[in-house]
Amino acid sequence: MTNTLHRQGAEEDLKGDYVIFVSMAREINKKGSATKIHEFLRICKKYNPVNIGCSKWGSVLQDDVEFDDLIANLKDGSTSGAVFTDLDTLQKVMAELIEADLGISINVSGLLESVQECCHGNGIERHSVEDSLGFWESQDRLPEREILELNTLCGHGMVSFNLIHKMIDYLKLRRLTPKEAARIMGKCCECAVFNTDRAERLLEKMLES
Amino acid sequence: MEIDKKKCVGCGNCHAICPMGAISLDVDGKSTVDQDKCVECSTCHRVLRNEGYPPWFVGAIRKVLKLLHLQYMAEVDICPTGALTPPDLKWPRSLRAAFSDPTVVHAGTGVGGRGTEEIKTNDVTGRLREGEAGIVIELGRPGTGAHFRDVERVAMALAPLEPHFEPFNPVTQLMVDTETGKMNDEVLDEKVLSAIIEVKTRLENIPDYLHTLEEIQGETDAVFSVGVASRCLPDGSIPHVKWVREAGYTLSSNGKTNLGLGRPLFQEASR
Repeated sequence: MTNTLHRQGAEEDLKGDYVIFVSMAREINKKGSATKIHEFLRICKKYNPVNIGCSKWGSVLQDDVEFDDLIANLKDGSTSGAVFTDLDTLQKVMAELIEADLGISINVSGLLESVQECCHGNGIERHSVEDSLGFWESQDRLPEREILELNTLCGHGMVSFNLIHKMIDYLKLRRLTPKEAARIMGKCCECAVFNTDRAERLLEKMLES
Repeated sequence: MEIDKKKCVGCGNCHAICPMGAISLDVDGKSTVDQDKCVECSTCHRVLRNEGYPPWFVGAIRKVLKLLHLQYMAEVDICPTGALTPPDLKWPRSLRAAFSDPTVVHAGTGVGGRGTEEIKTNDVTGRLREGEAGIVIELGRPGTGAHFRDVERVAMALAPLEPHFEPFNPVTQLMVDTETGKMNDEVLDEKVLSAIIEVKTRLENIPDYLHTLEEIQGETDAVFSVGVASRCLPDGSIPHVKWVREAGYTLSSNGKTNLGLGRPLFQEASR
């Protein structure tokens, strides 16, 4: 989840892309955190995220992962997250999490000003911020912007450039729909931060152009 | 990753899934893994559902379809015969999995993924305090991978600025000397999906770090991503923004926000 801050895209696209996730500090509040993570995921699930899961057990996009099994198997310190596609929902999720007072660190990746609005709307002030300064060095090794936008939807970069190209080819051949292609790409993202909704729209846009 | 040649039917699905492009078709018509390129992320093994067909069965289907002038094409997210075999990794190759497979927890930090809590738990750890900046340089991201020799090159270039290399970071833990950024020689040839150098410094030093990173471009083969973090002021403003802009760099409009909901909240003496 360190890398969700490097998501690429135009501001208009980023308006539909918010990742909320929990982290625990090893020496401070990791012990006994499983029930809190459970509650975090239960609250997020209520608001219909496009993706949800944890880094240990995977995301609900994967073939063998069911939400109920996932939360039943949570362990202390399981980094977990969910993806929402609009600010109103994010604000509601945030409000319920503040009310729940879980006592574990909660982070949001997304447009900084919008997240700040949500914080103010819920009567809190943000604690710390990490900004991206983009990609440096050997940029000739990177593919075109659209491919990078899809690749960076997974924080750890597990969606390969080659898979994205293959998905685009399959869309052109009508072997897959944008929804199916987005789900296949999302399966590669173990931490459940891949925004399938945004990926689908990006693929549709690429097909049109 | 290894491929069981007795099982592989050369469908090629794993070639595209591999984030490093390490899998290709061998002369025998079966897939093979370039072990230097492979970072042991296990994405192929996790994502491609094992259909569990015996290879002879796939061969028979192919023959029948060929008679009908049709071609066998497996669904894109399966391995028809379960040929992908995760090996038992020994040091130092085991580092590849630790830095590349998000399900593996780093032994030294107890954190999965890239192995560092950085600002994600800053509300309770106080890792970055008032007047301090965190700079994270992630080599290999996006999508290219990096060898530790490149990680060392960047760390050693930053060392004259006297950074505080974050001790609860798996890259720092591979250094034999945090004053120089020198890493353990045993690991230099290992390749990982990405690795994060994490330093702490005073806010006013941000320009020096960014200029140094600018200067060393061209000295490594690796792409890297740069992030800058700080503890917000009581009014929510972000102290590092001024210094990054003064250094002549542009910040993206998106980023990561720690909401400050962790407990017990770290209390700074000065606040």
